[in-house]
Amino acid sequence: MSELSITELSKDLRDAIENLETDKQLDEVGVIIRIGDGVAWIHGLRSAGYSEVLNIETPKGIVEAFALNLLEDEIGAVLLGDDSAVKAGQTVRLKGTVLEVPVGPELLGRVVDPLGRAIDGGPAIKAKLTGLVEREAIGVMGRKSVFEPLMTGIISIDAMFPIGRGQRELIIGDRQTGKTAIAIDTMINQAKQDTGVVNVYVAIGQKFSKVARLVERLKTEGVMDQTIIVATSPSDPASLLYLAPYAATAMGEYFRDNGQHALMIYDDLTKHAVAYRQMSLLLRRPPGREAYPGDVFYLHSRLLERSAKLSDALGGGSLTALPIIETQAGDISAYIPTNVISITDGQIFLETDLFYQGIRPAISAGLSVSRVGGAAQTAGVKSVSSHLKLGLSQFRELASFAQFGSDLDDATKKQIDHGQRLTELLKQHQYQPAAIWQQVASLTAVNNGYFDSVAPSKIKDAQSALLTKLWADHKKEMTELDKGGKPDEAVNKLIETTARTVAKGFAD
Amino acid sequence: MPGRLSRRAVAEYVATSLVEGKSKKLLFQQLAAYLINTQRTKELELIVRDIEFSLAEKGVIQASIVSAFDLTAETKKALEAFVKTQTKATQVSLSNMVDPSVLGGVKITVPGRELDQTVAHQLTVLKTRFKKA
Repeated sequence: MSELSITELSKDLRDAIENLETDKQLDEVGVIIRIGDGVAWIHGLRSAGYSEVLNIETPKGIVEAFALNLLEDEIGAVLLGDDSAVKAGQTVRLKGTVLEVPVGPELLGRVVDPLGRAIDGGPAIKAKLTGLVEREAIGVMGRKSVFEPLMTGIISIDAMFPIGRGQRELIIGDRQTGKTAIAIDTMINQAKQDTGVVNVYVAIGQKFSKVARLVERLKTEGVMDQTIIVATSPSDPASLLYLAPYAATAMGEYFRDNGQHALMIYDDLTKHAVAYRQMSLLLRRPPGREAYPGDVFYLHSRLLERSAKLSDALGGGSLTALPIIETQAGDISAYIPTNVISITDGQIFLETDLFYQGIRPAISAGLSVSRVGGAAQTAGVKSVSSHLKLGLSQFRELASFAQFGSDLDDATKKQIDHGQRLTELLKQHQYQPAAIWQQVASLTAVNNGYFDSVAPSKIKDAQSALLTKLWADHKKEMTELDKGGKPDEAVNKLIETTARTVAKGFAD
Repeated sequence: MPGRLSRRAVAEYVATSLVEGKSKKLLFQQLAAYLINTQRTKELELIVRDIEFSLAEKGVIQASIVSAFDLTAETKKALEAFVKTQTKATQVSLSNMVDPSVLGGVKITVPGRELDQTVAHQLTVLKTRFKKA
């Protein structure tokens, strides 16, 4: 038998398909019997597959839809475009494919809709490749444990709830508590620390004015060149809101599958679930708890399962996910929050009370957790953050009791003082992610008591002075520390000396 | 009370009976009675479509041809042969309709399938392609 060439086989098959297409054949067609609220009911098309694309012929051109309800007598399809020209009686054809979107480096720096069409006013995107919107997640053998850090630049997260590449870490909290701010800072940090991680930000039903502000900020910070934004507005059809995270994941998967690292930000999955609920109710699927359909868990689990750290055999790329969920009055036991909490590898819970006390980022030390990130934490940060979470949780509990009485023993007073300094240190302005050496030096100074003589209100100033002095006097050592290794004795001594000197200038 | 029958099941019953040569009058009386009894008379048009589907699956096809001009007997014969080859039907009957809005070419429609080679259709496809680009 002659040697079989896969390239030739593929070419022959393509030729055969092209020849078949040029032959005049009867296409399978259906007809619209009802249309309303972006959902068309179609008679015919008995061989249509789930999620298959349908072309509806209207006088204004062809409108695409995709089949979601395959019933014995009819098909329920969700329109992907304007439904004003779609009428009952119009012909519907099978496209013969499931949904695909353009993928590849051509999308970097662009703002696109869930179908991969540019919406930033730039030229049309001419991507060479396409990716499946709905794709099965990588299997067990294709994965590897999370071990590389994905630094957010936010000290409290990197120290207490470290995130690894390939992890799914939920950001959860009420409205206006800084959820998106954490995600944006993480994106900015990827550019500032030159990690090479590609950011894919998915705006699900977000106001376009907010997306425009975000794009401007990312351009200012120099992050846009390594970012793709998939945006949908509240005025888009529910079908586009539903598709947005899947389409964006397909774009992120391109980088993952090519040995690179990508970060997905889904802002937010609450709106995604609401869009899916709307579609499901219009498709007459039976409502369940909070009127969500029965498969709303699967909606998010199949999406987030696509984020993974790939094995070396598959190139070692990764796709990290930071889904965002908005709670109502801090209720994390509602349906969608509990679902996504159980799917992800940890959550960062933001508290409204902390936010209004001026503790920003308003991360709750007690309710936040990172289940797999510990293995990915940089040795340097790990060496200075071992008891941070416990100490901070205990302080917040103690502080709430301490306000009722004044007679406190010395140990408790000391713990409260330390907690106050730590809380001040962990406050961080937006768009100012901290490098590894800055995190290590700051935490060392407070944890080891070098700043004990500094009043809590002056801690941020002292921290700033310490970092400036360290960088000015010991740039070489700090650059070495920034590589992530555990600080040696000499570096620790150096930080101590500088911190004590700085503290004298801020002493009460 | 028996469960609601799907349109497909009803159509399958009617088509099988028609192919087997049962009395049309009796069959249609039965169907009419069933539709009135189950308050499904609004679905009549869809049931007729389903009966056409079922008959097509059994090799009996009613095809319609739409063209901008009258077709010659020779063209109709060629189209009938084309439909027979494409559908592997044993019995094909053609109905021709003239519709100047298609501008040119022909559109052949059989139950559930269609070949649209009209100029109007090609223009719609072109319009969409240009919109996307």
